[in-house]
Amino acid sequence: MKKLYESLSLTLAMMLMLASVALAQERVVTGTVADETGTGMPGVNVLVKGTPQGTVTDANGAFSISAAPEATLVFTFVGYKTTEMAVGDRTTINVAMDVDLTSLDEVVVTGYGVDKRREIAGALSIVKTKDLTVTPTGNVEQLLQGRVPGVTVIQNGQVGSTSQVRVRGFGSLGPAGSNNPLYIVDGVPTQDVSFLNPDDIETTTVLKDASSASIYGARAAAGVIVYTTKKAKKGAKLAVTYDGMFGFTKPGAGQDMMNPQDFMDWTWIAQRNTENANAAAAGVAPDYAKALAAFNHPQFKGGLTPVMPDYISVGGTSGVVGSVDLAAEQLKYNVDPRKGSAYQVTEANKSGTDWYDELTSTAPLHRQTLGFSGGGETHRFYIGLSATDQEGTMINQSFHRYAARVNSEFDILPNLRIGENLQFTYRSILGLQGDNGGSGVSDDENDYLQAFRMPSIIPVHDVFGGYAGTASKGFNNPRNPVANREGLDNNKAFETFGFGNLYLEWDIVPGLTFRTSIGGNYSSAFGLGYTRWQYENSENNSAFGFNQFQQYNFSWVFTNTATYKKVFGDHGVELLVGQEALNTGKGWGYGQGGQNPFSWDPNFVNMTQVTTTPPNSNQFLGVNFSSYFGQVKYVFKEKYIISGVVRRDGSSVFGANNRYGVFPAASVAWRVSSENFMQGLSWVSDLKIRGGIGEMGNSNSVPGANQYTLYGGNVGASSYDINGSNTSATVGYYRTRIGSADTKWETSVTSNIGIDGLFFDGKLDVVVDFWRKDTEDLLLQVPITAVVGPGATPPFVNIGKMRNQGIDIGITTKGNINPEWSYEVNLNGSFLENEITELPPGQTYITTINPGYRGINPIRNGLGQGISSFFGYRVEGLFANAEEVAASPTQSGAGAGRFRYADINGDGNISDADRTFIGSPIPTFTGGLNFTLKYANFDFVAYLYTSLGNEIFNVSKWFTDFYPSFQGAAISERVKGSWSPDNLGASIPVFESASNFSTNQQSSSFYVEDGSYLRLQNITLGYTLPSALLSKLKMTKLRIFASTNNVATITGYDGLDPSVGGAVDTQFGIDVGNAPLDKSFTFGLNLGF
Amino acid sequence: MAILSMVYACSDSFLDVPPTGSLNESLLSGALGLERSIIAVYSQVNGRGQRMGSPSNWVWGSIRGGEANKGTDPGDFSDINPIQRYEYQSTQGVINEKYTANYELVARANATLKLVAAAAADVTPEQKTLYTAQARFLRAHGYFELARGFDKTPYVDETVDLKDGAGDVPNDQSLWPKIEEDLSFAYANLPDTWLAPLSGIGKVNKWAAAAYLAKVYMYQNKFAEAKALFDVLIPTTYGGPGAGGKTSNGKTYGLVPLYASIFKASNDNHEESVWAYQAAANTGSVNNANPEFDLNWPYNTGADGPGNCCSFFQPTFEMGNSFRTAGGLPLLDDGSGAYDPAYNVGANQLKNDQGLESKDAFTPDAGELDPRLDHSIGRRGIPYLDWQDFPGKAWIRNQPNAGPYQTKKYAYYKSDKGSLQDNTSWTPGYTAINYTIIRFADILLMAAEAEIEVGDPEKARTYVNHIRTRALNPAGFVMKGAVPAANYVITTYPAGWAKDNATREKVRFERKLELSGEGHRFYDLCRWSGVYGGTPSDYVERVLGAYLAYESPKLPIALSGTAYGANDKFLPLPQSQIDLKPGVLTQNPGF
Repeated sequence: MKKLYESLSLTLAMMLMLASVALAQERVVTGTVADETGTGMPGVNVLVKGTPQGTVTDANGAFSISAAPEATLVFTFVGYKTTEMAVGDRTTINVAMDVDLTSLDEVVVTGYGVDKRREIAGALSIVKTKDLTVTPTGNVEQLLQGRVPGVTVIQNGQVGSTSQVRVRGFGSLGPAGSNNPLYIVDGVPTQDVSFLNPDDIETTTVLKDASSASIYGARAAAGVIVYTTKKAKKGAKLAVTYDGMFGFTKPGAGQDMMNPQDFMDWTWIAQRNTENANAAAAGVAPDYAKALAAFNHPQFKGGLTPVMPDYISVGGTSGVVGSVDLAAEQLKYNVDPRKGSAYQVTEANKSGTDWYDELTSTAPLHRQTLGFSGGGETHRFYIGLSATDQEGTMINQSFHRYAARVNSEFDILPNLRIGENLQFTYRSILGLQGDNGGSGVSDDENDYLQAFRMPSIIPVHDVFGGYAGTASKGFNNPRNPVANREGLDNNKAFETFGFGNLYLEWDIVPGLTFRTSIGGNYSSAFGLGYTRWQYENSENNSAFGFNQFQQYNFSWVFTNTATYKKVFGDHGVELLVGQEALNTGKGWGYGQGGQNPFSWDPNFVNMTQVTTTPPNSNQFLGVNFSSYFGQVKYVFKEKYIISGVVRRDGSSVFGANNRYGVFPAASVAWRVSSENFMQGLSWVSDLKIRGGIGEMGNSNSVPGANQYTLYGGNVGASSYDINGSNTSATVGYYRTRIGSADTKWETSVTSNIGIDGLFFDGKLDVVVDFWRKDTEDLLLQVPITAVVGPGATPPFVNIGKMRNQGIDIGITTKGNINPEWSYEVNLNGSFLENEITELPPGQTYITTINPGYRGINPIRNGLGQGISSFFGYRVEGLFANAEEVAASPTQSGAGAGRFRYADINGDGNISDADRTFIGSPIPTFTGGLNFTLKYANFDFVAYLYTSLGNEIFNVSKWFTDFYPSFQGAAISERVKGSWSPDNLGASIPVFESASNFSTNQQSSSFYVEDGSYLRLQNITLGYTLPSALLSKLKMTKLRIFASTNNVATITGYDGLDPSVGGAVDTQFGIDVGNAPLDKSFTFGLNLGF
Repeated sequence: MAILSMVYACSDSFLDVPPTGSLNESLLSGALGLERSIIAVYSQVNGRGQRMGSPSNWVWGSIRGGEANKGTDPGDFSDINPIQRYEYQSTQGVINEKYTANYELVARANATLKLVAAAAADVTPEQKTLYTAQARFLRAHGYFELARGFDKTPYVDETVDLKDGAGDVPNDQSLWPKIEEDLSFAYANLPDTWLAPLSGIGKVNKWAAAAYLAKVYMYQNKFAEAKALFDVLIPTTYGGPGAGGKTSNGKTYGLVPLYASIFKASNDNHEESVWAYQAAANTGSVNNANPEFDLNWPYNTGADGPGNCCSFFQPTFEMGNSFRTAGGLPLLDDGSGAYDPAYNVGANQLKNDQGLESKDAFTPDAGELDPRLDHSIGRRGIPYLDWQDFPGKAWIRNQPNAGPYQTKKYAYYKSDKGSLQDNTSWTPGYTAINYTIIRFADILLMAAEAEIEVGDPEKARTYVNHIRTRALNPAGFVMKGAVPAANYVITTYPAGWAKDNATREKVRFERKLELSGEGHRFYDLCRWSGVYGGTPSDYVERVLGAYLAYESPKLPIALSGTAYGANDKFLPLPQSQIDLKPGVLTQNPGF
């Protein structure tokens, strides 16, 4: 603790030292300022009260100032109580500063303004900027994970991928994005903050309940996250900062897959088990020799014992044992499909290819920010220049962001200010897998999955350097993932952003300020990509493809507010009225593809050189909002606080009937600790009870066309070769959308009761919120009868309800062990319950949300259940033998070693009606623990995150744990524990060919795993140079640090990483090929001049 | 700009943002709009990528009919496994696809009819009639697929939309009268051809409507009504009493001289094409290029064969055996007792390479065979179109699971690669070969059935012999070098046909041989069993029972323990449709 302020203060100290003017006619008063541990405090402001005269303490806490005897010196320092000392006849004044234990005067950025923490009645949380800069990630929203109680962040390990941020549960049943919070950056609303550089951020506030967020009305229901970026104080001297972070990310191990020998042996075991089952069904004795002879694997032959080949392909001949005349073969070698059939020679990799290892490598990263800030009498500014380059651990994944931020403010008149916040950004994210900015990676069949489907006997390359793969027969259909990834080598894509606002503030009379701001975001995206003409796989792309796309998007917001703040004795009043108009983004996009250029040289290929297919193009106009809002707050004796807020929003997505919505909220707070009866409780430093209720809206899920019945079409959906040409098709038009003019806002009624407490002189800071969010008029695309045409999108209408409720807890304790040692422990935790409480009449689940994964349909959004719940048969065990099958309820495909499902309805027959809810991806508790320890100039931080009570549907097991799921593909090491007559307690069924209701065809609890985990996410060790040394170096700060991320994860989950997202809220928690969070190691330095 | 925005924000129109990239109904109400609307209806006929919604019915008609099995691996697209095992579940995605794809077709047709009703003033009555007739034809097709797939499903026409309570329409009425009404209207109002001054030879004409109506009559065993139409459709050259029907591009109905030319993209819209789905390659979407067949290709062919993936839809042993001839005629079941045709016995069975590696020696069957075998089934040692000799196991994904054969109809030729084949998607198996929903051979064979029942069995024989005469044309044999690839021996039937079961079996079996793999068989078996009308019989049970008894031991992984039961003639209605509103839809028996 002791040294914490040093780094913060030195900038200020140096500036003020230089600025100080000795005034000789008064006597010189000297002294030292010490902190609560008795150590000298540098950088403390010392002012002669009522004058501009002042100084700051030096590195040892000493000061010297001229002052008259009647003067009073005022000592101020951020985080400490302001101390006043009358000079009198003293020439030496030593001051011991007290920590401002309450920090209650801390100013918190809220909706359209700032507020003192002391007077806040709503539920909001702030995140320290330093917490946002410790980890090397591209997207700042990922950094909120575990930092804010009530906020769930689901992320994956792909660099630059979008995280799913959920504030207080889920409110909406719409598509991806409908539960995304609203982000406000310097007053400009946006749905995407990935352009922000963490080092540029000054404040982060999460508005969680209606009292705090309803000021954003119709867009607030999913929570509001308010960012402001840096701007110096007026009068601050030029300060230059440099923050650099360098390091690398190291891929972890993949899943354990069988080595070639085991793979071969288990293929044989599968055949024997299959013969057992077939023979039992036919009532004869198994004949393994006959069965294996009939099977006759292309590589391992058909004997009672498999034969390990030396070559898995010699010009297409499989299972070659012995040596090969490579020189002769090389003459026939061909891997250019344009020249004819591929001719390859591929050696068996008997030691086994670790495909995951081949696919990943240690990846460098760096982030550097150069900051310039300062100001004069009438202006202040911040300029931030930053560069982030981060390679992914998977081949050809990368994130690059270069940003320039310029924030400034000028006083035109003493009461008139003009300012701007602007950022220009270049960003390139390449190689992401999964929908929605990579957040859907886990439920994609992708190259992560391919790594666990490629048998280890296949090498990456054939003997002459081409790609090897399942073109060597007997290994079914995985595609060489290294080839897939290397095929992305020449892909390019980037976006440019111009984001910011321009504002004018006019203090009309003291306390009354008018502010007008116009802001927006212009973004454009360009990209081009190539697809390989494959030859190495059993199933190949059969052409060389080239595509390109471009898009631009422009959104704007125009905001006018007037605020009035006045204190009349014991009465404090704050008023805010405002008007806002905005458009969420208009623009157009264009994309085109083509095939088979004469040459594949990327310098040659362009759209002119390929056979093109018709382009895609779309223009969009965005959604317009027109809003008015107001807020009143009354504070009596800083003890009783009443606040009310109302916002009226109009949105173009709704028809004229229901276009406007009004969202009110009210809150009260009582600072109990200010009451007389509490004064005896000295351990209570401050205690506030808050309560609030209000409404917030959401229309994120509603597309702009929702109110219209429309016709449309495109080549894929509705074209026909009406003239019989064989080579062209005319687009027809059909009803693509059924409109609803009556749809209105989805409303969440939120109630919140919170307690803010500071105890033991501020050593313990506790914030607890009990909250409930009832979403009414739930916007739901009601499943409708197929007879009116499933091709028409039904409208979102207001049917249904959902309840989210929970408890958010934040506990901070800090203190000093002795003058050298100090600590701070911060614990954030949230409990969450989510339930769909009402659906359209008669409907018990949303029939239209039924995602399938190779025939497994794991999700049901059902009444009385949490969203995205897992649904299927409950596995009670594996049948021990035919007798048990006979004694059990009738079940299609039942057999020894196969799944025995629970007969839920007890009718003696296992059927659709026996499916039940078998898990939920929603964690019941998430939390973060941040532990800081300081010793002298060293600081040590450890950060842990946990997610408890959530389940994962690990459908990747379908591919790796069942023989008939593309037999010949790789087999998980787990299968060694599969059922056999000698291993009746197994959980993995007998390894055999049959694919039926009782084996791998149905969604069942077999795939459901506990997804709870505890992750040590960050450890940082830093060292700050002592201030004495810094002064000599003419520096204000020099800190070096070393850090490691994603250090260790404790989980029982079988997949690569328990942090499993998915494409959308109503279907997540499914793992087909998740991108794990890898360990990274960084070091860096923070410099200040 | 700030002031501008404020003005903008305050005006009422600020919150009126029009939709983009779409049209409202009024923009489609002119003749040009109607044309685009009917194109969308035609477009939907192939299911638009919903494989199970296509009229090819490769799962519903062929696999369930015992002509083919799912093929591939046991676990691949395993949602088809319960279908080929007659263990349907109401929650199956494939069943839902069949249902929803056809209702999308119905809905699109209804949308056109609504647009016609609201047509702009410049649309002539003649134009309205043409669009109405086309839409009703296509709607009838959608309901026909639903009726034979699911029996009773809700009937909605253009007067019933969502707001009118479409979700409350029960499935308590037979669809067949409605189908007949639509097709009768289409027959009465569609043009003779779509040649100039009309345009669009991909459209349906009056003859197609007559043919479809006749087919619908046949489904209900209304032989007299059907025969009357067949007499109109069959030209004099084939024994009909009149000039006969014509294709939309003006060709008088006839059989394409060479059997293989029916399935050749470059020969599309031939004289046999009564109604075909117009497939096209390289249009920008493979949905125009027979997407329902994208899995049904030899496996692991590399550049040496077509498609490359995924070994679905492999013909059965039983189907292969069916092509055995003796003295040029098939080895028929005698039509009495158990279904036990001689082709499944002993040396009559088609010799195959099951269990053999491609490098192992194999001599193809030397016995007498119907030449259509090698146009329908890819088998070891016989040229696979213009690619190469079929190599057997090397092109089979999982021989123990699915047998030694691959499908061959609707495969593209090496010479058509890249031009009449589409490489723009994940696999090359997309083609421009029109899928013939009704071809003239189908009409002749149905007409033969009708003649047996209500006409002249000897005339039936001449119809069947036209089919066989085309098949026996040596110019159409698959050749290996200068000689036929196998011992093709086929003759026409001699005189002496009577109205009896043995004769019926001849026509039925000819249908099996001629139309194998084209999606008809299961429905034909049901039709011959009176499932859709007429006198009920156990024909389908006997035939499929025999098929499974023969086939299951050969492919135990796929078929062991399989039985066909009385409740398997119709699919269950999709559970998700029933669950939308309890009490509206009645599930089929047994589910």
